[in-house]
Amino acid sequence: MTKAQFIRHYFLLNKASYAFAVVCIFIVNWLQVEIPRYIQQAIDLLNQSSIDAQGALVSNVQAVIVLSVAMVLVRILSRMYALNPGRITEAALKNDLFYRLNRLPHTFHQQYPSGKLISIINNDLNGIRLFYGIGFLQLFNILFALSLTPIYMWQISPKLTLYSIIPICIAFVFFRLGFRHLRALHAQRLKRLQDLSEQLMNYLSGIDLIKSQQMDPWVTQKIDDVNQKLYQCTLKITRLQTFVMPILDYANHIMKVLILGLGGFYVLQSELTIGQITAFLAYSVLLALPLMSLGRIMTVYQMGMVSIDSVQKILNAEIPPQDLNLLTEDKKQQMSHATLTVKNLNYQYTQGESVLKNINFTIKPGEKLGLLGSIGSGKSTLVNCLNHHLDISAGQIFWGQTDITELSRQDLRGFIRTMTQDAYLFSDSIEKNIRFGSERLQQQQGQNQVEEVLQLSQLADDIRRFSDGKQTIVGEKGIILSGGQKQRLSIARALFTPSDLIIMDNVLSAVDYETERKILDAMFSHIGNKKSQQSLLVVSHRISALEDLDKILVLEHGEIIAQGTHEELLRSCDYYLQTWTLQQQDAQVAS
Amino acid sequence: MIKTPDLHYLKHFYHYAKPYKKTAMAGIAMMPLSIAANLLFPWLVIQVIDKHLTAGLLDGLYTLIAYMLAVLVVNYFADAFYAYFLRKTGELAVFDMRAAMFKRVLKLPRSYFDTTPTGVTLSRLTSDLEAIGESFVLGILGLIKDSINTIAVLIFMFFINWQLTLVILIVFPPILFLTQFVRKKLRAQYLITRSSLAKGTGFLQECLLGVKTVQLYGAEQEVEKQYQQHTHSFMRAQLKTNTYDAALFSLITGITTITIGLIIWFGAGKVIQGTVTLGVLIAFINTLEKVFVPLRDFTSQIASIQRSFAAFEHIEELFVEPLEEEGRSLLSSAQIKNQLDIFESLQFNNVSFRYKPVDPYVLKNVSFTLLKGQQLALVGTTGSGKSTIMRLMNKVYMDYEGSILLNGIELSKIPKENVLHLFSLMQQDAFLFEENIHFNISLGNKAIIEKDVVDAAKYVFAHDFIMALPQQYSFELSNSGGNLSAGQTQLISFARAIAQNGQVMMLDEATSSVDSITEDLIQRAIGRLFKEKTVIAIAHRLSTIRHSDQILVLEQGQIVERGNHQQLLNSNGLYASLLQDSREIEDNTVAL
Repeated sequence: MTKAQFIRHYFLLNKASYAFAVVCIFIVNWLQVEIPRYIQQAIDLLNQSSIDAQGALVSNVQAVIVLSVAMVLVRILSRMYALNPGRITEAALKNDLFYRLNRLPHTFHQQYPSGKLISIINNDLNGIRLFYGIGFLQLFNILFALSLTPIYMWQISPKLTLYSIIPICIAFVFFRLGFRHLRALHAQRLKRLQDLSEQLMNYLSGIDLIKSQQMDPWVTQKIDDVNQKLYQCTLKITRLQTFVMPILDYANHIMKVLILGLGGFYVLQSELTIGQITAFLAYSVLLALPLMSLGRIMTVYQMGMVSIDSVQKILNAEIPPQDLNLLTEDKKQQMSHATLTVKNLNYQYTQGESVLKNINFTIKPGEKLGLLGSIGSGKSTLVNCLNHHLDISAGQIFWGQTDITELSRQDLRGFIRTMTQDAYLFSDSIEKNIRFGSERLQQQQGQNQVEEVLQLSQLADDIRRFSDGKQTIVGEKGIILSGGQKQRLSIARALFTPSDLIIMDNVLSAVDYETERKILDAMFSHIGNKKSQQSLLVVSHRISALEDLDKILVLEHGEIIAQGTHEELLRSCDYYLQTWTLQQQDAQVAS
Repeated sequence: MIKTPDLHYLKHFYHYAKPYKKTAMAGIAMMPLSIAANLLFPWLVIQVIDKHLTAGLLDGLYTLIAYMLAVLVVNYFADAFYAYFLRKTGELAVFDMRAAMFKRVLKLPRSYFDTTPTGVTLSRLTSDLEAIGESFVLGILGLIKDSINTIAVLIFMFFINWQLTLVILIVFPPILFLTQFVRKKLRAQYLITRSSLAKGTGFLQECLLGVKTVQLYGAEQEVEKQYQQHTHSFMRAQLKTNTYDAALFSLITGITTITIGLIIWFGAGKVIQGTVTLGVLIAFINTLEKVFVPLRDFTSQIASIQRSFAAFEHIEELFVEPLEEEGRSLLSSAQIKNQLDIFESLQFNNVSFRYKPVDPYVLKNVSFTLLKGQQLALVGTTGSGKSTIMRLMNKVYMDYEGSILLNGIELSKIPKENVLHLFSLMQQDAFLFEENIHFNISLGNKAIIEKDVVDAAKYVFAHDFIMALPQQYSFELSNSGGNLSAGQTQLISFARAIAQNGQVMMLDEATSSVDSITEDLIQRAIGRLFKEKTVIAIAHRLSTIRHSDQILVLEQGQIVERGNHQQLLNSNGLYASLLQDSREIEDNTVAL
């Protein structure tokens, strides 16, 4: 989407509201110039001081009041309908951004840390909101005011209009120059303030050294310098704000004097009436105000453009096309309980050595597979390839007959459920965390299932001890839970939503051997009982977690060096035997 | 409005503004001029209309016009100088406050920094002071000027024609009532928007941090639904706010013309009767804005002043924090004389220490002696109290129990500045200034000349790598030394300690991994120190301290073993087992 397309897209979102607002803005501006005409007539009638004029006077005054009330009402509408789109656009953009962020793959998120994304959504959206709200309102306000007011003034007296506009034009030039200067100074001041923050942060983190080396005078001097610079900059801004910026205001006053002097002369020449002078005085104000906001709207416009640029970085990032192509329910049914086939899988991170080399294996429905490997052997990388977290090239991993790179990630993950090593929990209740990710399946799982998975993951006892039970809020990232509880909750979460293949990536590392045993036993019986052909891949560096599985793959330096059942491997694989013996000793020491 | 307890926070501001009384007075002196000019203008308008325009008299009109221009010029300068001088006073006060607060921060004890995150101190010195400079100074100035002007204008109008003024005053109560009503509504909405924004942002942050989990669990739609609810409730509250805002704004701008209508209506009869002149009527019409616009700004000015009080409250925290050496009885330099010029001995006698009176002890009955020329090593796991011993010597923490004698004088009685020159610290995570290498070694000490810096660098084998840098000793460090390697950073810190020429070297060895070439240099530098200087060292690689005269093994704040390397090895205790562990690690490192 180009910038112009972006602006148009979100503009059209509120087109009705904008159209109505433009009409209202026009009416307000028209009333604004219309009312002085009635005041003018009223004053002129007064000046005639005749009793006959009384009736006409009253009707004029009534018109002023009625039109003023109408102006208040229409202005309320104009501001509502011009400013609301800013908020509506902001909300729509937030949702659009979130939609995209949720679907952008790992490669994108690696590039943009979440702090940066949040700052874009929080700060840059402000600029866009102002652009679509106040920017729009003021643009039309200025446009109408600056075109209508001179016309009305011209109708009263072309000469006086030309003369009285002179001071305001000169002042406007000063104002513009001052405004530009002021903006530069504001930017400079922000920079100075940042410098100060950075310096302070720096010295505060080195406070121990500064104190022990008695460097106070030097540091104080340094801070004084930055402080001084900041002060000088602030003073410059103050000078501009107090001496230059009010010039436009005073030009308006000078215009009034001019109207009284020159206009007065015309009155005495009987070319103008006093009422017309009064109207002129009112118009002079209507001319000065929009000029003042012209400076502000320029800033809103520029800020908006900058913000749109940074938001577009997210909106223009491409979601892989296959990820948007979701399967139908029927198709999903057909594809379930398929075999996962890995064929000559190679993987390397950018410009690195291959982390995975020539991996081949299959997981058939109902099969329970183990993957053993030491730290750095490539276990997690393999898991992240299987669930398509990492971008892999085509032709290496298949779900049934389908290459997983052709399947949407969301569908693939409906088949394959991964429990990651570091369980990430949401600051919601335990139950909500368990139900996380199940809504999409539109299967209302009852309370029983929640209880069941809590039993399976050996978490039920722990939860009974919480005063709020399943409704306990776990805090940010599950802060109130221990490492083991977090992992067991993540197990419960993964088990709650039915899937064809469960991958447990080193999930049991934070629980002791005994709990590990219980969880695994429970899981085996759960899978076995269901006769659901659910398959399982357990990844661990602990053999105890793997020994009962149908088959174990041994991964070393990115290659599968051996595979077989526990007994077979004990006989055939030295590395396996060694690891087993060492871990047996540890287990004995521990108990 | 403003609560009285808030007012005492102003005393600091007043204190720092006082020296600039003259500037402030100059600004305040402009006030009467500004008010006079403000009132003179409508009066002249009346004169122009009544004496000339309605009377049809041209003579003298231009004199009046000239007066009006003069009044405008006076008004412009009076207003500008009023605002300028008073804002300048405020800015000067903020400038001085910042300097004073920073000086104060430098004198705060370590315990303050332990309990206060750096970000908090930082925001006291930056954003809080900003709030005072902007919200408070501008808010107060605007409020004072607006209210005085409005009152003056109303009094002036009252004198010109009290009946017409009453018409204006009749409009006041309903307007005030309406604005108050809308404000109240706005405040309620404001609370809702704040909480829904906070919830939305919190949820967003959570989802972005856990985006992998969201994707792996196919929960995209699910979290989106939840997020949309947050955005929606925020938007709804904002739309309501918009409506009230629009109403308030339109009402205040509309009320002027409505009142104009009322004045003409009411004044018409009087003009015809001749009790009110046309000039008065027109002047009233033109002055109305000066009465109503401040009404619009009034509440927002109060709000901005209120905001600044939060900042004052924060700053107050810094001012009441007790200083490091405040209220301690210390020896004067006359009493100390030259007893501390040369380091002779340091003696710990049954020293115990805890950070706070309620905390558990981190040091328990520690006793040892370090004499000039000796090397003392502290060994133990993390949290065993090694660093605390060093910090007590450095007077980073002061409230110890027992006795620490430096050259026979109780350490707690010696002012900090008389102690620090004796010690040179080689820190674990060396702090580097964003200055050049020369500065980072000399630390700006004028007595340390170029040659000393180079000698110190050579002494710790840092000279060669420094010479290989683009500008050598003038090489500017950035990002707290981010453009040097971890090992190089340590060598700079060593050179710094040597250059500072303290008589006792305090070494806090790092565990951070450094490349093997630099590692070798570090080891050679340490080896050299141990041969030639009085050293007290915390070492993680036990090979470094093998040749110490005395090794103290600490565990949970207590000395559990002491002796030299051989003695400790023979006793086959904790030291021996630590040595075993570290050997394994070193072997592994070699193997890798």
